Amino acid sequence: MATVILQNVCKSYGNRKTVHDVNLTIEDKEFMVLVGPSGCGKSTTLRMVAGLEDITAGRLTIDGRDVTDAPPQQRDIAMVFQSYALYPHMTAYRNMAFGLLKTTRLSKAEIDGRIREAAEILHITDLLDRRPKELSGGERQRVAIGRALVRKPKVFLFDEPLSNLDAKLRNRMRGELKRLHRELGLTVIYVTHDQIEAMTLGSRVAMMSKGELQQVGVPMDVYMRPANTFVATFIGSPEMALLPCRADAGGVLGHDGFAAGVALGGTELPSDVILGVRPEEVSFSRTAGMARGQVERSELIGAEALVEVALGEDRITVRSAVADAPEPGEQVGLDFDLARVRLFHAGTGQAIDRQG
Amino acid sequence: MTAISEAQPAAHAPRRRSVLARLKGNWLQFIMLPVALLWMSPLIWIVLTSLKTKAEVFDPEAGFLPQALNFANYPATLAVAPFGTYLINSIIVTGSILAAQLVTITLAAYAFARLEFPLKRLLFSLFLLQVMFPIYAIFLTNFITLREFGLINTLPAMIVPFVASGYGTFMLRQSFRQVPQELSDAARLDGCGHFGILWHVFLPLVQPTLIAFGIISVVTHWNDYMWPLLVTNSDNVRTLPIGLGLLAKSDSGADWTRLMAGTVIVVSPLLLAFVIFQRRFIDSFMHTGVK
Repeated sequence: MATVILQNVCKSYGNRKTVHDVNLTIEDKEFMVLVGPSGCGKSTTLRMVAGLEDITAGRLTIDGRDVTDAPPQQRDIAMVFQSYALYPHMTAYRNMAFGLLKTTRLSKAEIDGRIREAAEILHITDLLDRRPKELSGGERQRVAIGRALVRKPKVFLFDEPLSNLDAKLRNRMRGELKRLHRELGLTVIYVTHDQIEAMTLGSRVAMMSKGELQQVGVPMDVYMRPANTFVATFIGSPEMALLPCRADAGGVLGHDGFAAGVALGGTELPSDVILGVRPEEVSFSRTAGMARGQVERSELIGAEALVEVALGEDRITVRSAVADAPEPGEQVGLDFDLARVRLFHAGTGQAIDRQG
Repeated sequence: MTAISEAQPAAHAPRRRSVLARLKGNWLQFIMLPVALLWMSPLIWIVLTSLKTKAEVFDPEAGFLPQALNFANYPATLAVAPFGTYLINSIIVTGSILAAQLVTITLAAYAFARLEFPLKRLLFSLFLLQVMFPIYAIFLTNFITLREFGLINTLPAMIVPFVASGYGTFMLRQSFRQVPQELSDAARLDGCGHFGILWHVFLPLVQPTLIAFGIISVVTHWNDYMWPLLVTNSDNVRTLPIGLGLLAKSDSGADWTRLMAGTVIVVSPLLLAFVIFQRRFIDSFMHTGVK
């Protein structure tokens, strides 16, 4: 079916290489999210799949067919752009019909049928006669998605489609996209810099940084077992605290603020490691605790509190119940959930896998 | 809270504001009316003079208005020179120039706005240089070129030198650059090549610029006197402004009444077009910021 395979795909502009050797397989009916900070090459990668950018080196196949050098209209893809890119001088209906008129030999009635069907799914039947400037942001978004849907392509490409919407609408459209993916069985490649979108939408996420793939996996797996410090800090909010430690052979980590032993299960540790702790993997201790620090900041965000604690030179964020949140300036004891914390090489930033 | 505090003064505001607004509107009219009259005065004068008798024009006692409406100048003017032929020639020349220019500037502007090719910047500088060059500076070379092609004293002689326009290319390139890149991308995904993108996306979006350029081009070439005079010497290829010139330098001195009647004939097609499309034109100039 509509499997998309990128093999050693590279992109260079002159001497500047922006995408390095990306190897990625997007399975049929999968919702793959490419996520990373701006300038990481995710949009370029998507545009190469779309055929809007040449592939400098490597190979791209869609549904088993090599489309590395094929023009966009021969790839059987449709794309939704960040700015929606609706033609301002055409009505919503014409916008949706245009691509079908240009690329297919469908009859007027068939095109009309497809547009009505897509409009029904997206609840935009009433808006078909309007021009883009008479539509709100969310409505334009729907029309843009509709323009992609009527094409019935093998693969849907989304380039940060929600970033121009306000927070509430974004939330709703996120649910909507998820529903469309589930109900229509679409194969989607979705680019975003928003890790929440990546976590909530993706069947799998592909993290990119500096033009390279960092990690590919199901969202919770990437969250629980980040492959390196970059992924660890990018995914999750508030971000994972990274505490540089000295390690001895027995698995005892030494830090200015604490000393703690971790179960190694036979893995050898380098002398310098980074301990990665998510806000929910640390709690306030009723006793002395593993570490002691001073509360710097305490933010109540409704159901819970985020408390920033200074441990020596470093800072760590603790997710706690509102009732338990200490005041700034207080000395507190902290307990780490040592079974869940991650260890990274201090030099390379790569995760250290602990057996057991 | 803020809604209430804002609503209160608003209750008294309408009357005060309406007086102010009326005063402001009047002020504007007081200024605009004389300016408008000043701008229209030559035109009014031309029309009135064209309706006077020859004697009346030179009579210091005569008033501003003609004593009797004398339309005889119009047929008399048409008898001096074949204005019908001139009119057709003017339409052919101006129309052909505009049509050719729209094709050339559209293609050139698209290339400069959206394509990458060697020497792009240099070529564009040359286009701009052409805008800065006074047209009179290249009269001689143009004339010699046309003579080599054997085009002197033909209609193409008045068309060929103007089929490209550096100014139009520049104007249109600026407009094309305003069109978001994502729209071209979307059109490419919708199966358009460069011509498709140009036709379906770019041109509809830059209509105001095209109209503005069209007006400038038509007015310029409709009124052009110098070049048509240089390259033509027989009635059957001459244009309206040259016809006017014939009236102005008749042996007996300028024949003012007929000259004015001729002027009315020459400018009326443009005036008529302007009155009909006034709103479109003004919108276009507002959009493009050309004056």
